[in-house]
Order: sequence, then structure tokens, then C-alpha cells
Amino acid sequence: MNVLVWTAVVLIGGAGSVLRFYADGLVSAAVGRDFPYGTMVINVSGAVILGLLSGLALTPSQSLLLGTAAIGSYTTFSTWMLETQRLTEERQYRKAALNIVVSLALGIAAAALGRLIGLHL
Amino acid sequence: MNEDCLKLTSYFGERQRTAANGFVADALLDLYGRRGIAASVLLRGAEGFGAGQRLRTDRSESLSHDLPLTAVAVDTRSRIEALLDPTVDLLRSGLVTLERARLLTGDLETVAAGGPTDGEIKLTVYVGRQERVYRVPAFVAVCDLLHRRGIAGATALLGVDGTAHGERERAAFFSRNAGTPMMVIAVGAGSQIARVLPELGGLLRQPLLTLERVRICKRDGELLCGPPSAADSRPAADGSGQPPAHKLMVYTSEAALHDGQPIHRAIVRRLRAAGISGATTQRGMWGFHGDHAPHGDRLLQLGRRVPAVTIVIDTPERIQTAFGLVDDLTAEQGLVTCETVPVTRRQQVAGQRA
Repeated sequence: MNVLVWTAVVLIGGAGSVLRFYADGLVSAAVGRDFPYGTMVINVSGAVILGLLSGLALTPSQSLLLGTAAIGSYTTFSTWMLETQRLTEERQYRKAALNIVVSLALGIAAAALGRLIGLHL
Repeated sequence: MNEDCLKLTSYFGERQRTAANGFVADALLDLYGRRGIAASVLLRGAEGFGAGQRLRTDRSESLSHDLPLTAVAVDTRSRIEALLDPTVDLLRSGLVTLERARLLTGDLETVAAGGPTDGEIKLTVYVGRQERVYRVPAFVAVCDLLHRRGIAGATALLGVDGTAHGERERAAFFSRNAGTPMMVIAVGAGSQIARVLPELGGLLRQPLLTLERVRICKRDGELLCGPPSAADSRPAADGSGQPPAHKLMVYTSEAALHDGQPIHRAIVRRLRAAGISGATTQRGMWGFHGDHAPHGDRLLQLGRRVPAVTIVIDTPERIQTAFGLVDDLTAEQGLVTCETVPVTRRQQVAGQRA
């Protein structure tokens, strides 16, 4: 059973990162390349879903698979940071600051909203 | 060697595949390695688009997996002509150009005597990534020398693959990549370039460089002359009867901004909006144009300080349009040159646009 769960973590984790790759490409292509909207959309949507999952009564295995494996690999902190640093490299200081502040504000609001929905389901 | 040679340049995408389903970049450089091409370099661009107007850019991390690539190969006329068809076949979509160049190796003292003294010249020096000259990186030493001799500008570009003196030198993750080729592209008056050649010969252990004719259109905001019109151009050398294509090269700096973004980003954006056939920006490692000292990145910095080169190739008429747009964006700084490209092959796979 344990081996089965960890194998599922590996597979779901892989699928989450592939989903992120395509979702990011889709959003970036649709709304332009001047600002890292793709990463922001991914992180905010991931926060909603993780908030929702935490509001539901899940077993430890379910929360490992959905929370850690799926959302953990779907969302990305490192890309958010790298893209902020890349904006400063090109002297887009206002956009870099916005990328941090707006992601944080929307992310926390999204997690709270998800949790609220989860608790009422 | 001091011969009239040809330079074959291919513009394509990083994830572009050959008919055999390998990456074009690998197949192309394998070919150049097998044929022992005297000098070749594969460059990874920062941004660019081709005839299909699809933008490849490193602006966002997730979009950086398919950057524009440029592969340059220089050798004798017969060896490069033999490469043209296989290169076009491998590429399937993208742009291939043939230009004339003089390739110089070995003793540069004797070369300088019969060297170019009229007009303006583009000098390209090929050095190894870890090659050192008196304990200084070779590309820094070369840029420094060119700056001191009053050359209009020089930019060092880092290759990721290539050949030097016929030997394949490919960059690898676990390697010092000492011999991976870099190119330093410099532009100046023919007389100045001729004077600096023996000095370069003294500096470098195994000098490998090319000379090409260019026209300096603009320097530090001062308009010197526009690109030649279609009427001034002789028919293309490929027998098509069409006027040859023209090539603009725009040397700017990452630190030079227009409307809050680096000038090269603004140039690519405007050229694409104007329907120009293609442009590619390469970010350099080190260089200068105009009077400021050579510059590059520092260890502790926020904004980057490296130079950037944007190459635009199109018909003479559309290059006039492109030059107008570039002219607006380089009101205060930048170096703009124009060259004639005798042969171009624009490849487009049916149903797929590059």
C-alpha cells in the first residue's frame, strides 16, 4: 500500500508539472509576454485549490496525493522568484515589485477563498 | 590562410527538428564538425521572430525553452558551397544566408599590408571561451585593444557549440568548455582595422578572424547614411534576378532603455508589428560601441550591463522601413550598420510557419 501511494505521488507530481508547463505557455501566449502572468495565474489557482483541499476532510494519503503531489508540483515558487529577478535585470523595477506584491495579495486571498468554499462543501 | 571565403548563416528555432526527428542545431553542428569547418559558432538568442511572425523570447522562464538560434560557418568558397544544400535540407524552416568574407589565420603581419583600407569593415575574431591572453580572458583583451584603437564598436558573443580550426568544440555541463568558440564582432574604418590586425596577431596564439564590408549608418545618435536603396543594389548572386537582401545590425546595450524597456526589446517589437520578415537579438557578454569603455555584467548588480546585437534581414525596400523604425529608437545611442546579403534561402515547410 505504502509503495502504491509513493508511486502515485511520483506520477501525479509529474503530471502536475506538465500541466503547469502547458498552462503557463497558454496564459503567456494569450495575455502577452511583458509580465509573468502565466506563473501568477498558476500560483493563484493552485492556492485556491490547496485552500479548498485543506477545508475538506481528507485522509492523510488523499491530502498527500492532492496537496503535496498535485498542487506542490503544479505551483512554483522558484519560477516566481526567477522571473522577478529577470525583470530587475531588464530594469523593470515597477513590474518586479508588482509581481511580488500582487502575487502575495492575490495568493493569500485565493487560499482564504478556497478554504472558505472547502469548509462549506 | 588569407582567402576569399564564404560565410553561411542559418536562423532557426531551438526546438526545431530535422526530418529524422533530431534537433536541427545538433544535426547542423554535427555536419560542420564532420566536414572540419574552419570556424563555426552556434549562438542562442535572447529574442527573435521569423517569416511566420512567431516570437521566440527569453522574457519569461516558461517561454525560454525555444529560443532563436543562429549558426554561423566560415570556410573556403568550395567547402561552404558544398554545405548550402545539406544545411537547407536540415533546416526545413527558417532562413539561410551566404555572405562573402575574408578568412585570416596564422601570420597576420603579412596580411595587414594588403589589407582593406577603404570603406568600413566588420571584423569577427573567433576565440575560445576560456582562452587567456596575459592572464586576461581573450575576449576582454580583444575588446580592450579595439577600444583603445578607436574602433567604432565591438561585442563578444558566447557560443554554445561550434568548430575552431576544423575541430568540434561543444559546450557541456560538466566541462571547463575551454575551447567552446566565442566571437567578437567589431566594426570600424578599414584603415583602423588594417592597423589593428598585426596587434591581434601578436595577442592571440592561433588567430582566426574574418573581414567583411559594411556601411556604418548611425553611431551614437548621429545619422551617417541610410541603407542603400534597391536601385543601388546589384542583382542577387543566386541567379534569381532579384535584388539581394539587406542586413541591418543594431548594437545597443541592455542598460540603454526606451520607454522603460531595453532598446533591443522595443526594436524587435516594432519590427514585428511592422511586418518585417525577421529579426534576432543576441545578448553579448562584453563590449562597447561609441566612446564608453567596454562593459559587461558585474558580480553584484540589479540591472544587466551587457551589450546586445539585433540582426534584421529583409528585402531592400523593407529594410528602408526597418531602418526608419530603428532610427527612432536609437536617437541618442547605438551603432547601426548595413550589409548586402548576396544569397538567401527562406525555408518554409508546407502547413508550418517558422
